[in-house]
Amino acid sequence: MGGELGSYVSAKLEAEPWVGSLVGIDVDPPRRRLRKAEFHLLQPSQRERIVDVVTKFNPHVVINLSVWEPDARAALAHARQFTADAATAIIGAAAECPALESMVVRSGIEVYGRERNSATRPTETAPIHPTSDYGEMLANVEAQAREVGRRIGIAVGTLRLASVLGKHVPSPLGRLLRQPVVPFSLFADSPFAVIEDGDAARAFVLAAARRLDEPINIVAPGAITTLQAIMRGKRVPLPMVGPEWLVASKLSHVLGAPIPGHVVELMHRGRLADGAKALDVLGFSPVLSTPEVIDHLYAWESVVRIGSIQEAVA
Amino acid sequence: MAQLIDFPLKAATRAGNALTLPLRAAWPVHSVDDYGRDPHLIRALTPFAQLRWSVTVGGVQHLPANKGALLVCNSRRYSLSAVYAALALSDETGRPVRFVGRPDIAPIGPFMRRIGGLLATPADVLNALSHHELVLVAAAGTSHPRNAGKVPHELIGPAVVAGLPVLPVATMSSAIGRAARVEVGPAVRPRRKRRGPLAEVELADEVQHHLQRMLDGFGGVQTGVAPIDWLTEG
Repeated sequence: MGGELGSYVSAKLEAEPWVGSLVGIDVDPPRRRLRKAEFHLLQPSQRERIVDVVTKFNPHVVINLSVWEPDARAALAHARQFTADAATAIIGAAAECPALESMVVRSGIEVYGRERNSATRPTETAPIHPTSDYGEMLANVEAQAREVGRRIGIAVGTLRLASVLGKHVPSPLGRLLRQPVVPFSLFADSPFAVIEDGDAARAFVLAAARRLDEPINIVAPGAITTLQAIMRGKRVPLPMVGPEWLVASKLSHVLGAPIPGHVVELMHRGRLADGAKALDVLGFSPVLSTPEVIDHLYAWESVVRIGSIQEAVA
Repeated sequence: MAQLIDFPLKAATRAGNALTLPLRAAWPVHSVDDYGRDPHLIRALTPFAQLRWSVTVGGVQHLPANKGALLVCNSRRYSLSAVYAALALSDETGRPVRFVGRPDIAPIGPFMRRIGGLLATPADVLNALSHHELVLVAAAGTSHPRNAGKVPHELIGPAVVAGLPVLPVATMSSAIGRAARVEVGPAVRPRRKRRGPLAEVELADEVQHHLQRMLDGFGGVQTGVAPIDWLTEG
């Protein structure tokens, strides 16, 4: 509930007529004004406290958004630890709630992996075969939720999100694309799709309302390559071939925009997914297409002066 | 102080903009479609493709106007018949025609994806067909330009699963000249109704026969010696 996506989902849930009361847990306080929700500032490692809060509340629906993307808010080792701890605590606690009917879990299209000859646009039926650390983290969260759902007989919906980008979303991809000079793969500039944080939040609310019981890809329509994104943002493209990536990623890390493995994979091998099922099952259709999300990313200003906010792309 | 901190960033941005401005003018900002096909790149490459192939297209009335369909073309080895046929049919119909058979290795794989290539896997073909796309599959390559090779039944399967028509596309091009021909035939109907995988196996055989008949109907010299026949094609 404290992160950008969590706060967004909470704010949207508060506006839903079917939501009676709302309780949230996070390591950061909410970034939006919440009127109804009760918030608990807890670390993922505080399992007993988390179990206590969740079981006392005894919810009908649990939404687990506690996924730390590597190099978004924490480095890989910490991200892996926090995600595993939070999943164990929250999914485990949810299993102890007798009123629980449904659980919605955040995952990502990284779970499909990008090994050679893997599907260009995997559907939800494609095998889970992660080829990055982040993909493996997400696959583990999915597996835990599925297992709990099977054991206690509740609906478990999994939303496999494309890279979530937004003006204020901590994302290694977004951060990298906003650098003045952005590296791209000269010989393998592959297309990828993203999703805007507001659209992702709307998908979670719909999934919770409909008691989703299957995995769904949440992907904005259209696609873009890294070079095209760089050109849209009027950044300087820096072509890379092979071993230069190592130097570029180290340099980028020093400059404050680390490039984790799954982002390197996205830039080399692309990352698309078929999001058609979201419309059929949830009636969800993203408001922004992938190129529009990229344009919004670049419309972000480092200093926003009140009264002179310009939405247009710089 | 803030301006001082921002100065290197602004200077780098200004320098970068100055460097890339001429490139931007020549290369307008675009995006790719859901499968990674880049219509702008295709438009830019069309004059170069026309230097190699001058394609005459026929039978486009057989193609569905809005729905998806699986097209199967014959292929002389190294002729890139699927590529020029897909480009010519896209141009003729105004709909993207995606060819199957891009390798998944850089740099050729990403490039072919940008010009509309899909992987030669049933999953990729099924995905495109289920989104009402026109997908072109090449039969096995042959040394003789008038022989239709074996049609891969595993790539016909997605059309059977999606319940979409399969149309033969006869292609003919010269190894040395520019003239090329692409002729779309009517949809092939299976002779028997099958519930299992025999449906695609029999349909693939049927498509191969149709292709062969269309190629025979093209006429021309047939000496039986491939290099001599190549010279007269197109």
